[in-house]
Amino acid sequence: MSTTDTVLGEVVEMLIEIVGEDFLLDVEITRDTTFSDDLALESIEFVALTEKLQRRYSGRVDFAALVADMDITEIMAMKVGTLVAYVEERTTVARPGSRAR
Amino acid sequence: MADVHANGIRFNAQILEPQEHTADAPTVVFVHGLISDNLSSFYYTLAGPAVVNGARVILYDLRGHGRSHRPETGYTADDGVNDLCALLDALGVDEPVHLVANSYGGIVAARMAVTEPDRVAGLTLIEASCAGTSAAAWIEDMANTLSVTALRLEYDGARNQYDKAGQRRMARLIAHADGLLNRTTLVDDVASERPLRPAELAAIRCPVLGVYGERSELVGAAAELARHVPDCTVEILPGLAHTVLREATEILRDILLTWLAEQRTRARERRVPAAPLTKEGP
Repeated sequence: MSTTDTVLGEVVEMLIEIVGEDFLLDVEITRDTTFSDDLALESIEFVALTEKLQRRYSGRVDFAALVADMDITEIMAMKVGTLVAYVEERTTVARPGSRAR
Repeated sequence: MADVHANGIRFNAQILEPQEHTADAPTVVFVHGLISDNLSSFYYTLAGPAVVNGARVILYDLRGHGRSHRPETGYTADDGVNDLCALLDALGVDEPVHLVANSYGGIVAARMAVTEPDRVAGLTLIEASCAGTSAAAWIEDMANTLSVTALRLEYDGARNQYDKAGQRRMARLIAHADGLLNRTTLVDDVASERPLRPAELAAIRCPVLGVYGERSELVGAAAELARHVPDCTVEILPGLAHTVLREATEILRDILLTWLAEQRTRARERRVPAAPLTKEGP
């Protein structure tokens, strides 16, 4: 599994913990899945998700900065891929052959 | 941090720490409103800006709300004060905190300023009526509305109508409201709530900020605060009704941050003794 898939996989695992497997069994979560329309995520559940991510990647992600200019409607309309990309960008470590950031 | 055990139940709480700690940084505790409300209404509005401005922020779901445990009893304002004090104890917070409360949360927060004055450094009430006839009418109105909603949920079978994945959010909202209204003492506890007396408002020692919508049914509470609370600031927002937090977030944010900064300055001035007016004699 690539790093990319790892982050998406972790977000899916966290969503299952928060929302419950029963509901998500019928939903395939991809980068294009939206939190609001596709997952019907509640705002309090999004708080729980960001808390889990914050704990998992402590110190490396700052969701307050990510959502600083968004209101709640914009946040909930976000795609899973947007969040995953943000985490990837903040957690990518320099690998041989890759440019140091 | 998510789960905090206090006063015998599990609370969902979020602690947000500022990037840089300063010795006199305020601790701000947000207290949300009833039933469908939870900590997320503050999390996405005022909490972030408060942290960016140097405050340590505590958000929590009141008992029975959001992702906190839902016991059958204990929904009076006094219970709410006991819960919050126990939560602060569990978090090791012993300094006085600034309470920022919306709607019904204001009844809990104002009660705490009265009964636990040493734990409250400041009180911000957003669209909350705590005292006098305006509070009595509001409490009665809330209790009536909640009773009617409870009956509807119980007898209309509304909670079964949305039990489909596509309507998950509505189904969960209905199930949550049904559980809180029909499986706990919350409605009775709200109905039996008593408004604060003018003498109790007059005895509040901490600074109080009240923010109300010009068209809100609760705007009379602003005059009640101004009349009785010794250290009181009131802001009336033109054109708005009860939903100030949602509809005037940026204005509210500016009012709150300015007020908190003023309180910090005042606290610093109190700590620094005034310079002597005259030189000491030979």
